[in-house]
Amino acid sequence: MNCLEFRRVILADPRRLGAEAAGHVGQCAGCKEFIARTLDEEAQLARALHVAVPEGLHARILDAVAAARGRLRLLALAASVLVAVGIALAAGWKHNDELALAGINFVVLEEAQSITDAVPSDWKVLARVTREMGVSLPEQLGEMRYICVYPFTAGAAHHLLVKTPLGKVTLLLIPDRALASRAAAAAYGLNAAVLPAAKGTIVIIGDSPRSVERAEMLLKS
Amino acid sequence: MHVFSVSRRVAFEQAVSGCLDDLYRYAYWLCRERWQSEDLVQETALRAWRGWPGLHEHRAVKGWLFKILYREFARSACRGRIQTVPLDELVIEPEVHSDPALGLDMLRALAALDEQSRHALLLQVLGGFSCVEIADVLGTSEGAVMTRLTRARQAMRHVLQPREPAGEAKEL
Repeated sequence: MNCLEFRRVILADPRRLGAEAAGHVGQCAGCKEFIARTLDEEAQLARALHVAVPEGLHARILDAVAAARGRLRLLALAASVLVAVGIALAAGWKHNDELALAGINFVVLEEAQSITDAVPSDWKVLARVTREMGVSLPEQLGEMRYICVYPFTAGAAHHLLVKTPLGKVTLLLIPDRALASRAAAAAYGLNAAVLPAAKGTIVIIGDSPRSVERAEMLLKS
Repeated sequence: MHVFSVSRRVAFEQAVSGCLDDLYRYAYWLCRERWQSEDLVQETALRAWRGWPGLHEHRAVKGWLFKILYREFARSACRGRIQTVPLDELVIEPEVHSDPALGLDMLRALAALDEQSRHALLLQVLGGFSCVEIADVLGTSEGAVMTRLTRARQAMRHVLQPREPAGEAKEL
């Protein structure tokens, strides 16, 4: 190592003298003086940069971290509560099937009008429709009244009222709408189920789950 | 509270407490103002706490803290959250520096350095870091750090010994 290299190394880090630099300084009086002076300047520099640390700084900083830690714990708690509520909601959530809900809306909003507008209906038509759909309407179902064909969700449904031991049940037979699987809905205190028929769909609307289940069971049998 | 949480908190507080003075001084020479410096150190400590579980080498905590402060300063300066006091408005109170005039000269001299040289010098003098460690903090090469430190020290000589005859350049 020559003097130039030595002084560059020393100016870059005066407090760390490597073996090579130490070897050089032992043989070079000029560099020995240089490093002594540089270390003196380094001490002056350190003194010049030594500003007073404000009183209570440590406590303030650590308190701020502790407060943030508390907030983080609260946030974590809130987040876990939210997750738990979300899971509970997801688990308890009963998805309302769109078609079943449309059946309930029909009963609430349009059934009365359908009954009012009804003209004497042709039971032969109903018999043909049920045959085509592969549906049988057993007598045990209750006292039936065939109202009419009524517009329903961009199509038409055969509207029946059934007086059952468990209360009034509305049946909507939709020959032109296929359904993949059973679904249900509940709204306005009414329950509804949609069932796939051999051809088309049956919508059952009742004022209790039991009345709907009973009608469903009898229709299947 | 869980025993692990307590020991983790204690370990963190011990490690950070040992570096807070140096961190504050580093922040002070960057921000040139007490309250912004405290805010910077506080933000550094908060970030450090959040990152503490991920720090595998706790012996390297000092370099890690200075690195956080350096990045936080750069981020805050970039967003305009740190309003550096203009050079002609700088004031150093006697309670801040035992020699306010020297402190003021230091501020001006540091301000005259390019940013990377300023950081390199402060990290070495206040943090005691090697060129390799500084290169890691600044994200540059060891050679670049050595060059910046050499230039920075040469510039500082004029502040520390203003009356000394010129001739420093001849020494190299």
